Amino acid sequence: MTTGRKVSIYVALVLLAAVSVVPFLWMLATSFKHGPDIYTKVPNLLPVDRKTGEWAATLENYDYVLGVGGLGSAFVTSVWVCAILVPAKLLIDALAAYAFARIPFPGRDKLFVIMLAGMMVPTITLLVPRIHVTQALGMFDSGWGLIIPNVASVLDIFLLRQFFLSIPGELEEAALIDGAGRMQIFWRIVLPLSKPVLAVVTITSFLFHWNDLVWPLVVTNDPELYTLPLALQQLVASPDGGRAYYIMAGATLAVLPVIVVLLIFQRRILQGIAFTGLKG
Amino acid sequence: MTAPPLVEQQDLAPGPRGGARRRPVARRRDHLVAWLLIAPALAYFLVFLLYPALSALYYSFTDWNLRSEASWVGLANYTDLLFDDVKYPHFWKSVGVTLQYTLLSVPMTLVAAMVQALLLNAIRRGSNLFRLLLFLPVVTAEAAVGAIWRWLYDPQYGLINSALGLFGIPGQNWLNTPELVIPALAFIATWQCGISMIIYLAGLKGIPGSIQEAAIIDGAGPWQRFWRVTFPMLRPTTFYLVVTGVIAALQVFGLVYVIFSGSGRSVTGGPEQSGLTYVLHLYLFAFRYDAMGAACAMSFILLVFIMIVTALQFRFLKREAA
Repeated sequence: MTTGRKVSIYVALVLLAAVSVVPFLWMLATSFKHGPDIYTKVPNLLPVDRKTGEWAATLENYDYVLGVGGLGSAFVTSVWVCAILVPAKLLIDALAAYAFARIPFPGRDKLFVIMLAGMMVPTITLLVPRIHVTQALGMFDSGWGLIIPNVASVLDIFLLRQFFLSIPGELEEAALIDGAGRMQIFWRIVLPLSKPVLAVVTITSFLFHWNDLVWPLVVTNDPELYTLPLALQQLVASPDGGRAYYIMAGATLAVLPVIVVLLIFQRRILQGIAFTGLKG
Repeated sequence: MTAPPLVEQQDLAPGPRGGARRRPVARRRDHLVAWLLIAPALAYFLVFLLYPALSALYYSFTDWNLRSEASWVGLANYTDLLFDDVKYPHFWKSVGVTLQYTLLSVPMTLVAAMVQALLLNAIRRGSNLFRLLLFLPVVTAEAAVGAIWRWLYDPQYGLINSALGLFGIPGQNWLNTPELVIPALAFIATWQCGISMIIYLAGLKGIPGSIQEAAIIDGAGPWQRFWRVTFPMLRPTTFYLVVTGVIAALQVFGLVYVIFSGSGRSVTGGPEQSGLTYVLHLYLFAFRYDAMGAACAMSFILLVFIMIVTALQFRFLKREAA
């Protein structure tokens, strides 16, 4: 490759990366600005005073949205919902996937195909009756309602099963002959060998539920139960919605944990997407 | 996406190989263990997937809200939605908005993803960093994306208009001008093309270097190589991305809900309903106007439409992709 071509490729990538990242930088800058400083003719990517141009960062926007804006309690809700939901879902899915992959019983493969077919129904079709079911179970507008109706995923069962199938059976077979039980084999042999797929499923599931707006929107009324995306949407819909310095502080709170997760687990996330082609 | 075939399994039964010779007691215990392991997932499947899917179909033939009993109305919801423009004045509008959005956002997303993937595939140093930066918009919550872009599109102080100003293009009131709403939304979708980019990149890595080298030896320039070698080899990937992209675009909701929520008024779907997507319309009927039966009917119309569109794509695009 000629140097000229190489340079032009890098220039193009820098420009595209800027389009991708500048909105986040602007979000950050706005979130640290004093209210009046955001209204400038030429947008400034640093929190500076609109008249003097001197550095003028503040945390008062965060103070406001965490307290009055309700994002503090929403952050806590999001954390505990994810802390319960993600591991519980992983466990339920992994147990089922193991049985589907390894334990023969009559009708197993038919059952699996039926469950897979259920994946084709769009979530929006299920939304209204799911709310009805959640009400009937007495979980509407409660913490359980945020967790239980999301606590398993056919897609994740499918992914885990495919991975379990790819593990050579000899080890498990030897353990069975030695008299080990199914659960022992599952915990001691299968799970330790499945770390890559467990990581992918855990991370995508965290990202999905941390970011999810629709289910919390329809299942909660009580502001105490609002998750972070929902509280942010409510803030946008409130009279504060026009105050971009508050809204950007709220958006930063929603985005930052996810960026940290992406930075730590980028290799696994990107690999997982290349393998499965999934959204969330 | 190639998954191992469903039938090829490595079953593990207790005792020596060959299930037939196992003791019946051990086998029955094993079945019991299997059912216990599957039980939670199966219960979830029955309660939160199968039952809702079937009951949505039933309720679509009823007049129903969450406070009353459903009463059977036959096909009335379907015929009213399709033909009664007094009862549902914005139904066809929402169909049009969604189709426009899909037809604009899917090609824009794929072109951007392809360009990004080709550029990333051409470099070695720094490719991980660029890939990460380009992927960032994907993992961002749609509530945050909506909030950020409302501010970016701000007619007076927004970054978009300032950036256009650098090129002498006059600023626009993007989210308040009916003709500009769909392009503005499609641009956000394009900004979030990272997943397609990653999948294209995986596809590019799968093209054997020897084919490209052969093309170079035959004197093909970069442009020819792309259209004659790379693009045809990526057709299965493109087909997959078009099918899944269309399915997702037809269901766009969260982003428009956030973009158009606000400042005192209720969600309306933007100026003159120019951003009233199908699922936003459905949501409003279900949860604002408490017309659950009609909402269920809408969801089935969408389901059937998605199935038809997907089948047509398999019929007409797949042959080329093969």
